Amino acid sequence: MRIILKTLLIIFVIVSASLAQGFKVKAVGEQAFNFEDKNGRNQASFFSTTPLEDVTGVSTDVKGKVTFNLSDIKTLKGSVSISAASIKTGIDLRDEHMKSKNWLDAENYPQITFVIKNVSDVKVIADNKLQAKVTGDFTVHGVTKPVTADVTMAYLDASEETKQRAPGDLLGIQAKFNIVLSDYGVENMVVGQRVSDNIEISANIVGSNAL
Amino acid sequence: MNKKQKIVVLSAIVLIAAALVVWISNGGEVLSKDGVWVKKELSELDKSLGLEPQLEFHKQFVLGLLPHTAVFIGAVVVVSGILFFTFKSKKNKENK
Repeated sequence: MRIILKTLLIIFVIVSASLAQGFKVKAVGEQAFNFEDKNGRNQASFFSTTPLEDVTGVSTDVKGKVTFNLSDIKTLKGSVSISAASIKTGIDLRDEHMKSKNWLDAENYPQITFVIKNVSDVKVIADNKLQAKVTGDFTVHGVTKPVTADVTMAYLDASEETKQRAPGDLLGIQAKFNIVLSDYGVENMVVGQRVSDNIEISANIVGSNAL
Repeated sequence: MNKKQKIVVLSAIVLIAAALVVWISNGGEVLSKDGVWVKKELSELDKSLGLEPQLEFHKQFVLGLLPHTAVFIGAVVVVSGILFFTFKSKKNKENK
């Protein structure tokens, strides 16, 4: 009986290990990546389209940290946030409206945050590149709702080229998901119908494991 | 409609048509803009990191239908309307 159980356990471990999907790079084990970039090259943006106007908002005030085991991306944990007041749409008056109480209420809810909860549908594109669906809790205007983002991740070992961006190994993340503004208690009153209720959110960020 | 009134109406039509042509040649945007978001070219490193082009704001006035073109057209309509009736009353007075 014990032999059977041991055999089943070994098979389970082997199967689990073979199913784990991650990066095949020089580094191994648990890694932590910090997304703070003092040069403002990390961007999170939103896009809204209405018959009247397309609106793009960009923030370069991106902060966050993720940890995961390189051999299994499903161990990914962490969060990424931006400050609500840092979003620029290209029109100063509209930026002020966005920060106001009727909209994002940046004074009372200063942070917009995505907290990673789960990783699924992992697709290995290359040894250092993966695609996956990352589910997490998205908080804006003090309201938290689960969302699922389509994410592409690329891992680069430290090199002379990567040093131009940041020290250490780099993790590039490109993520996209949609939200409905009214779900988050944003009533769209001040900006009127010039901003859609359906908003596409993207993040284009690079983290370093040496920061 | 007398000769002066015809000139007013014709001038108004030409000005409105010109404003619409300028508006369309500026991209036909509904709202005027102070600038545009431009996608920056990706570096080789950014491509390797799987990133999409960064957005960069370029200050550049883009004429929209609202408010600039509409205000101009409205002003043309109001001024030509006033002139039209002014010339009409002068003609009426002359007739009397």
